[in-house]
Parts: sequence; C-alpha cells; structure tokens
Amino acid sequence: MTETKDLFRKYTDEATFARIVDMETVSEMWQRCLREFGGSVAIADDGKEYTYRQLEEDAGGFRTLLEQPEEGTRVAIFAANSYDFVKAYLAVVTAGCTAVIFPAHLDAAAVFGCCMMFGVKKLVYQRDFEERLAPVKERRPDITLIPADALCDEKTDMTACTGATPCAIVFTGGTTGRSKGALLSNAAVMQGTVNGCYGYADVFSQRYLLVLPLSHVFGLIRNLMTSLYTGSTLFICRNNKDMFRDIAVFRPTIMVMVPALAEMALTLSKRFGRNMLGDDLKVIICGAAPVSPFLIGEYDRIGVKLLAGYGLTESANLVSGNPESLAKPESVGLPYPHQELKIVNGELWLKGRNMMDGYVGAAEADAYEDGWFKTGDLARFDEEGYLYITGRIKEIIVLQSGENVSPAEVETAFNALPFVQDSQVFEDRSELGAQILALEVVLRPTELTDMEPEARKAYATAELEKVNRTLPPFQQVSKITIRDTDFQRSPAMKIVRYRYEKN
Amino acid sequence: MKRTEIVEKLKDILLATDDRKRDAVAACTEASSLTYDLGFSSIGMLYMVIAIEEEFGIRFDGVGAADFRTLGDVVDYLEAKLP
Repeated sequence: MTETKDLFRKYTDEATFARIVDMETVSEMWQRCLREFGGSVAIADDGKEYTYRQLEEDAGGFRTLLEQPEEGTRVAIFAANSYDFVKAYLAVVTAGCTAVIFPAHLDAAAVFGCCMMFGVKKLVYQRDFEERLAPVKERRPDITLIPADALCDEKTDMTACTGATPCAIVFTGGTTGRSKGALLSNAAVMQGTVNGCYGYADVFSQRYLLVLPLSHVFGLIRNLMTSLYTGSTLFICRNNKDMFRDIAVFRPTIMVMVPALAEMALTLSKRFGRNMLGDDLKVIICGAAPVSPFLIGEYDRIGVKLLAGYGLTESANLVSGNPESLAKPESVGLPYPHQELKIVNGELWLKGRNMMDGYVGAAEADAYEDGWFKTGDLARFDEEGYLYITGRIKEIIVLQSGENVSPAEVETAFNALPFVQDSQVFEDRSELGAQILALEVVLRPTELTDMEPEARKAYATAELEKVNRTLPPFQQVSKITIRDTDFQRSPAMKIVRYRYEKN
Repeated sequence: MKRTEIVEKLKDILLATDDRKRDAVAACTEASSLTYDLGFSSIGMLYMVIAIEEEFGIRFDGVGAADFRTLGDVVDYLEAKLP
C-alpha cells in the first residue's frame, strides 16, 4: 500500500519534500527554525520586522515571566493578532505549558467564566483588553496577569516535553451545546503544522499574510505554525479592511483564507480591474466552509492555485487537502498522513496523531465511539481515495463567512429570560433572500400574564432584542418570532430542529 | 455628490458582493438593515467598506462596521465625508 505521504510527493521537488519531516513538539520545531532560519524575518507586524532569532530572544524573556511553571500549566492568551500574541504563544508552549487561546471578542463575564472552566493559572492579555479582566482581578486574584507586550532581559531556556504534553486549548462550537475547548497535544499541533506543507510546489521561505484570527485553528496552525515551520515570513494584517493595502506592500506568495474572503477578493479584483491579491500570489489555502468549484476555476485563470481542504478544531486543523483542485473541484482532497478515516452510516469518523485528546469544559461522550471521533459530517470517498463532504448531520450552522454558530449556545442566552420557555435558533433566508439567523420563541404560559397578547409579544420581542445586541455580531439573530404554539416534538419530547433546505 | 447618487453607487457596490443577494439588494431601501434585511456577514461588511474606500477615494477612520445599522447610516456618513 502506498504511504499516504507519498501521494503528495509529486507536487514538489525531491529536496523540498525531504525537508517535510514529522516532529513531536513545538520546541523541537522551534529549535530547527532557529538553526536553519535564525536570520530570516519570521514576523512583520505594525511596521516592524522580527527575525526568528529576535523572536526567540523575546520569547525567552517571556518564559522567565512565566516563572518556571509546571508542565501543562494552563496559560490563557487573550489578545488580537499581533507580534505579542505570537511571542507569548511560543513562549508558553515551549515552556511546556498549555496555551488556552481566548477569542478576542470575549466579554468580561466570558473571560472570567473561561478562566474557571479551563483552570487557567496565568493570563496573558493585550493592554487595551484590560477592563475586561475586572471580574478575574476581583474574584480570582491568584491568577497571574501578564501584559502581552512585557519584555524581560533575563532569558529562560525552552523546557523539554514530549508529544503527549498538552500544547493548546482552542475554542470550538463543538457538536452541540455551548462553546468548549479542544485539547491538542504537541504531537497533534505538529501533525497539523506539517500537514500544511503537502500538495503544492513552493513550501519553504514563503511570504504568508495573516488575516484569520489566531484563536481559530486555521489561523493558529495552518497560517502561523506552518509559516514558522517553513522558515517563511508572516505578515500580520492588523485590520482586515486594510488587507489589500497590506498586500500591495508585502506581496504575499501564499494566503490562508475562508471561501467568502477569497470570493470577496475576486469580486473586488473584477470590479477594480486589477488583481487585488498581487502578482506574487501563487497559492490560496481555502477551508473552514465549503469551497465552490467556480472559485477554483476563476483563480486558476489568474494563475493562482486555490487548494481546498477539510479540517476541524478537533483534528488540529487539516484532515485532508486537495492538490488536484482543478481536476476534482468538488473534493476536499486526500487524507494527510498518520490518520485513519472511516465512514459509518454516511458519517466521517476519525482517529490519528492529529486528533485532540478530548474536550475541556464539557463532557462529550457522544463525540466518540470505540475510540473514533465522530465528525458530524456526511462524507464519501471516490475510487481514487479523494474525500467529499456532502452535508452535516449535527446542528452547527456554518455561515458564508466560515464562522460556526452553535444554535444551542445562542439559545442559552435567550433562554435566560424568565418568560422564555423554549427557543430555537436556525438558518433562514431574509425576505430579500439573504442567509440569516432566525429565532423562534415559545413563551412561558405563567409569565407576563397581566399583558394583552399583542403587548406581551411586543414586550418579549423587545427584551429578546436587547439580549441579541449583547451577542457577538456573528451570533446575532436577524429575525425574532414569538410562536403561538409549541415546537414540533420528537417522541422523546425533544424539539425537532428546523433544517434549512437548499432550494 | 447627491444623496440619490450615493445610494445608487452603494447599491451598485452591494450588488457585486454576492450573487445570492442580487434580489435582496435590488429591493432594499435606505431603511434596510445591512445585517437583518441583507444578511451581511462580517465579510460582507468588510467588502462594503473596502469597496467604498476604493470607489469613493475615502478612508473610514474611527468608525467600525457596528456603527452602521442601515444602508441610510452609510449614506449619512458618506454624505458628510464627501465634498
């Protein structure tokens, strides 16, 4: 049987392919980076450039600030994309700690809740996020707070750890319910990192642009980690609205994008009659939402290979990637090495080195069966072993922006209102035909009884709207309906969820 | 630039964002909500901002996507900003 890795051999030259080697830990990778690329620019951010050596200087000082923690100590990183984020993340994981990546949009209550849920001992924060730390400061003074821009002249060496040492906890909508963290070992993160090297010609010493959040595995692993692994330079785009101005200056050779962003760049290029992504761009790695064959063809026409892939937070990003995107535009490609995939009743199940060690903050017995992780995605293979994702059997709604919405999580916010008996968040179309999130609510018969029916509905809608405004923008619903009747129920009395039917 | 001209130019920009929104944009008015009626995601809003900056030759400074609820809000901003 052909080794999975060998399937990707023909897409680059022998010398390059030989440099793509498996590694156990981030520290091992980072030591190689320092040996081979020390003087190269690792990060370009906010008008400054930092070599691999400089980054290690600063990370070494930052490790000192962590005060020799025990292996696996959980250190939260609460910062937007920046050099300081990268420095702190590298310092934390090469000190043998576990980086708990907080999304930058968390509010004060969520920051506190996540510190409790994930057992955070130290918290690295961006200074202008400080006011969102108030509840942590007040109620958990034992958590050490470290500003992300802190520097220290005294250096501490990396700590030896193993592939099994927990490396990162990354948030995921999970399969049901509220957000939780996927615990990724060093070996899993490294497998995800190496997987990003397969299937295209120019792998090392590239110029990457970062537009995805580092709190998402696609940004953290495929974008940041693979960029470092390959001795490339990562240019951090601070504000996505300046993306095309940054591209004109930095001239990236490879970009990691969600399909909606790739589509936007194409539309803008057509509109303004020039390639907005620059003439140096050769490859776009596209994932996190379905990629349309149209997009692949359009990019090919301007000389850019758009490679679709499939991955999950739970699999440390990439499971498969498609080096034959033109020939098989509907496929998400060939599985990467060190994994087992099988399809059970149409659902894709996974095992392998890149898989998480489980969820943190939520019991998830349903996620596994006989040691296999059940993805919730419906899939099939063709006769050449290419994978196709054909649908979802779980509840997560994938927006066109690639953002995942867990309906149950959003419903929890509305269900906290005393007059809400049940609610359901679902994908719908606006009256004008656009994809939206909608909410339907059944009122508790015992509440708001002193109001006339219409006034009761109006009051409830206004209160629901107030809650809606407190949610992160991508979770906000666009339509609120108060039902006169209960939802349809399954024999087990569970609400039968609406499914948005495409056409 | 006249308000009606700004609206037309804006609709033209929005029309190009996403084929699936063609009908929605054609039917929208100044009172239409960008997220509620037009279903703009974070990336849709980003597209709008970038295209407006290019097309009108201005920079959005000190405002975020959250400051614009309706199409009319964007028109107000542009009307004040443009000569």
